[in-house]
Amino acid sequence: MRSSSYSAMPARALRALVVLALTAAAAPVAHADSGTEASLATKPYMGWSSWSMQSSKYPGLNPDGDYSYLTEANVLKQTDAMAAKLKKYGYEYVNIDAGWWRDTTWKPAFDEYGRQKADPVRFPSGMKAVADRIHAKGLKAGIYLPAGLEKEAYGGGRTPIWNADGCTTADIVYDDLRTTNGWDSSYKLDFSRPCTAKYIDSQAQLIADWGYDFLKLDGVGPGSGKSGDQYDNVADVAAWNEAIAATGRPIHLELSWSLDIGHAADWKKYSQGWRIDTDVECYCNTLVSWENSVDDRWDDAPAWTRHAGPGGWNDLDSLDVGNGQMDGLTKAERQSYATLWAIAKSPLYTGDDLTRLDSYGLSLLTNREVIALNQDGTPPARPVTPSDPQQVWAAKNPDGTYTVALFNLADAPAAVTGDWTTLGFTGKAAVRDLWNHENLGTYKNRITQALPAHGSRLFTVAPRGTEVTFTAYEAESSGNTLVGNASVADCSACSGDHKVGNLYLGGKLTFNDVVVDKAGTYQVKVAYISGDSRSAAISANGGGATRHKFPSTGDWGIVETVSVPVSLKAGTNTITFDSGTGYAPDIDRIDVPKSS
Amino acid sequence: MNTELSRRSLLALATATGALTALPAFTASAAPQRPDNSASHDSSSHDHLWWQAPADEGSMIEQGLPIGNGRLGALASNDPGRELLLVTDATMWTGGLNDTLDTDGQFPYGRDDFGSFTLLARLAVEIPDHDLSAVSGYRRTLDLAQGVITTSYVRSGVTYRRQIFASHPDDVIVLHFSQSGGGRYTGTVTLEGTHGEGSSVSFGAAFPNGLRYGAAVTAYGTGGSVTVRGPDVSFSACEELTVVLSGGTNYAPDAAAHYRDPSLDPERLARTKVRTAARHSADTLLRTHVTDHRALFGQLDVTLGTSSEGQRSLDTWERLRARARDGAPDPELEAQYLQFGRYLMIAGSRGSLPLNLQGLWLDGNDPDWMGDYHTDINLQMNYWMADRTGLSGCFDAFTDYCVDQLPAWTELTRTLFNDPRNRYRNSTGKIAGWTVAISTNIHGGMGWWWHPAGNAWLCNSLWEHYEFTARRSHLEKIYPLLKGACEFWEARLLTMTLPGTSKEVLVADSDWSPEHGPLDAKGITYAQELVRALFGNYCAASAELKKDTAYASIVAGLRKRLYLPQVSPTTGWLEEWMSPDNLGETTHRHLSPLVGLFPGDRIRPDGSTPADIVDGATALLTARGMDSFGWANAWRSLCWARLKNADNAYQLIVNNLRPSTHGSNGTAFNLFDIYEVEQGRGIFQIDANFGTPAAMIEMLLYSRPGHLELLPALPDAWAASGSLVGAGARGGFVVDLRWRDGKPTEARIRSVGGRTTTVAYAGSSRTVTLKPGATVTLRDFDR
Repeated sequence: MRSSSYSAMPARALRALVVLALTAAAAPVAHADSGTEASLATKPYMGWSSWSMQSSKYPGLNPDGDYSYLTEANVLKQTDAMAAKLKKYGYEYVNIDAGWWRDTTWKPAFDEYGRQKADPVRFPSGMKAVADRIHAKGLKAGIYLPAGLEKEAYGGGRTPIWNADGCTTADIVYDDLRTTNGWDSSYKLDFSRPCTAKYIDSQAQLIADWGYDFLKLDGVGPGSGKSGDQYDNVADVAAWNEAIAATGRPIHLELSWSLDIGHAADWKKYSQGWRIDTDVECYCNTLVSWENSVDDRWDDAPAWTRHAGPGGWNDLDSLDVGNGQMDGLTKAERQSYATLWAIAKSPLYTGDDLTRLDSYGLSLLTNREVIALNQDGTPPARPVTPSDPQQVWAAKNPDGTYTVALFNLADAPAAVTGDWTTLGFTGKAAVRDLWNHENLGTYKNRITQALPAHGSRLFTVAPRGTEVTFTAYEAESSGNTLVGNASVADCSACSGDHKVGNLYLGGKLTFNDVVVDKAGTYQVKVAYISGDSRSAAISANGGGATRHKFPSTGDWGIVETVSVPVSLKAGTNTITFDSGTGYAPDIDRIDVPKSS
Repeated sequence: MNTELSRRSLLALATATGALTALPAFTASAAPQRPDNSASHDSSSHDHLWWQAPADEGSMIEQGLPIGNGRLGALASNDPGRELLLVTDATMWTGGLNDTLDTDGQFPYGRDDFGSFTLLARLAVEIPDHDLSAVSGYRRTLDLAQGVITTSYVRSGVTYRRQIFASHPDDVIVLHFSQSGGGRYTGTVTLEGTHGEGSSVSFGAAFPNGLRYGAAVTAYGTGGSVTVRGPDVSFSACEELTVVLSGGTNYAPDAAAHYRDPSLDPERLARTKVRTAARHSADTLLRTHVTDHRALFGQLDVTLGTSSEGQRSLDTWERLRARARDGAPDPELEAQYLQFGRYLMIAGSRGSLPLNLQGLWLDGNDPDWMGDYHTDINLQMNYWMADRTGLSGCFDAFTDYCVDQLPAWTELTRTLFNDPRNRYRNSTGKIAGWTVAISTNIHGGMGWWWHPAGNAWLCNSLWEHYEFTARRSHLEKIYPLLKGACEFWEARLLTMTLPGTSKEVLVADSDWSPEHGPLDAKGITYAQELVRALFGNYCAASAELKKDTAYASIVAGLRKRLYLPQVSPTTGWLEEWMSPDNLGETTHRHLSPLVGLFPGDRIRPDGSTPADIVDGATALLTARGMDSFGWANAWRSLCWARLKNADNAYQLIVNNLRPSTHGSNGTAFNLFDIYEVEQGRGIFQIDANFGTPAAMIEMLLYSRPGHLELLPALPDAWAASGSLVGAGARGGFVVDLRWRDGKPTEARIRSVGGRTTTVAYAGSSRTVTLKPGATVTLRDFDR
């Protein structure tokens, strides 16, 4: 299914299939059903992208001005290095990012049909020759375009559209030339006009003819820092999906950046991946930095977890862990970075200089156990205890094991404990350390490890114990105490079809009759709903409260769970969720394990 | 006044005060006595602090674990892949005599003129294959009873273990790396200076003040190879590795020699010390150290109750967090906190300089307040614990410091105090004896503002040590300090007629009640109380030594005429200034006007003090509040203990045990007390680590000469059962006390020189008379 599937069938035959599909469904094509693209993004893609080095002020990378790293020579140098060092581990795509049609002063060039044209200084051999050279190494080629009609391509509205009789650029935009995309660098395309899709078709055909296998469509909204109708590019993305299908060439469509999670269904329908966050690059003297903005992903990924799967993945952006000095990260940070990308099932594409990988970087990028975890079709991991800088993320695998990552996001070393109760079992479990290729032995009830600042561990945990039994306490129970604005509300996604919401500015919810047999610290599982990231101060029996973070569930209709430690005494307890001076999530239910 | 003190004048003063006996702190020493192999090194987990993570190199002051041999100290990171030690020597001071006053008649207070305590060296042991991300089962333990840090972890099936300690007998720091399971150590050891010396297996250099310093490292192992050469030590495939470090300065505690031993070459001496130690196995060095450490640590045992299994299962940091979060007493943790204070005392105060604001533990060369010797609470508080907890020997460094500085302090006082620009000068125009500034350094120098009553407080502290130990030799040693301080006050006191009366009293001249309110107040309570106590102590010393009896009667006469503070009719508080008004900050950290309640004895809730004074003191203490900096909470706790308010005394201890986060006041990861100097910035200040244990003892045992009181402020949290074995008591006794259900069950009282004392519990008392060395056991306290 995987390698070079597009060459297995003549393009014409593929196109026929698409037509057939269209006819049969009598509806816009959905790629999941389409014969051409079923083979795309079955797993998170792996490869390299040019943008991290283009955007960096690291000495020597961009000698001819900002973003000047992007040249044919550099792309081919990276292609050779990838073929030599990384290809055998599954790295496949060589992706040319922004600027291939712009000169070193960022002035763009277009062909007579208003389509982006290679800058002759950057790419003297042209874009097709580069793709051919990449293919010759057994790799796939990726290219880049911004959403919309670039202003400079408008040509006074008189520029003809390729293969669209009578259509000019004036016929594809709005009369008021409203702008769109994350930089307002394009005129928004008006897909109610018949010529418009033709323009996308013409672009798609061009890159297909050149032989590209991947397109990053950038500046897409809602997202890319924009919202509202003017920046709604869903129709663009849909058109691209159709246009690509029409070319008959399987081209992976990746969307960028900070896509609006409210449109996740659209992105899933029309593309193979979507950037969930802002650029990982720091635009500074290194490629990235921990705070700007690698570490954002721990907060932002959880809301998206449910949307990742075969055919489309949550893209956390470039994985720049290959050279500590250039990356601007400690070893511990690089391992954590790679760990999160792996368990979140993000595409694994590095932005490093592949000719200058250091030995640690190479070991991170080529760890077969970690790559296998990313590629093996098991579900992405979610945070189970996200409250502290010491976080545990996990996923239950179909074979009964768990993927467990420990993270210490604090600025100093700390012990991080993964409590088996938060995974749903107690007793013993065998632990495999993926980064170090070591069986660590059997751990009873929990594992605690010392982690460096911003450090991590990645384990496969095989339970040998018993399932935890929980006692559920519904938030809406009449025995609970609601304070302030807190109130019971309907909730179709919730157990008991109700939740307690309006927990803000002093609103409180107290569960009054939480009974346990023995005193101890219990990992209480909280089922909650929150359209954004919120927190609540949780206390037991009127004692000291601890403020816990609740990551966004992505939507006010979606329930997720996290575990929080609560000290309970033997007998009856109260557990209080206090919004304090802020906003707390809506609470569906708590599940208290039978034992601490 | 720019004249440098002449060597001759200092020599003359030193001769006069009899302070020519001191040896350099860092000096060649005879071979230590080695314990025989049978010496037991068993240790109870009650004395183990433990953590599940190493220190961050950027947060060593909160997370590094302290070791010290009383002079040479270090903070250790305990990171498997890179063990970092920040190494200090107590004498590693910049600056000097600092005898040119600023234009306001006060002392300069900078790192060049006054000087600062600084680091001696950094030592790093790099083991690249043992990166923290690659090891499992990490744990480190500080064994308070043995004085050893142990780190263990597993890498590829091999259990690795390292032990780190600072040996007093061998005068070195030792790091011993071992393993079981066929592992090997490969890496490097790097010693580097912190003042631009670079890295080398040994180095020597000098400060602009002429202080020479140096350090050296060596290493030896089994299996594999060790190369000690040039910039670092490299080791390869060693089954076992021992690293030995020493270093110091040519500081000599001798004013006449300008505090230098010109013949001492610190680098050479350090090399000799590490070579000499390296002739012995790591095990021999360890046993020698542990035997030495235990002899001191074992002098006091304390049990405050039983903690739950849940509490015991937590590491020290989690336990602190749980203590604060759940609010449940954790008596074993609280006892560990006390013992940690004793550990720091043993590690930081033996035969060299006394404990400064940070003891021996620094994370850089710019400690706040220079890491100096503050005389308006901090230095005194550091030593309240020593005698109370069986560490009287550790007190000597404090005594020696005062004795060794006295010639310089006397000369500076004589030549500079009455400078017309000094707002605190004696308006009598007379000058005699000595006093100090708020800050003092090790070169006889002073910093910041003059602090006239500081001399009295230092003397009173030294006198209390005599009360605890009854050692006449100590009294002889401190007598010149006491007498000089009395002479100072004899020249300074002013006669004042109390308004509206014809009564004439003696009051202290213009002064600042530390560290708030008016700068030029006469008769501040702080000074009146301290000087009154000083005069009383001097008279007692004179009588004991049968010296200067005529002068003592003059001093006794002055004492009777001293003004004593009143209760303000406005605030109801004991007045801090001779004013009914609140002229300062209500919740100010200092308890200066309560110095007569603690550490002084004048204000007592036993009927001997007028009730209005006790009430006024209680009202003032209440107004000061329950939430301040660590040392300020400790002092408050001690005062509440004196007032027999167990709840408040205990709550203040609990407040100090709050985990410090983002620099907040409280206890750090490594149990150091953190002082929040500004929002988000906390620094280490060691005084609370001693003041808090002192308060814990004071709640269990009150003493003054001739009187002991058992369990004066026993909190509910500790009431069920407990024991305090080996506590020092003023009057010359050591007490072993056991209790159950809130009442004493047994009190064993041993005389270390004391003869007669009453022993009271809950209002009833009996009198005990003992010969020195004799013991009596009291029971049946219910009757």
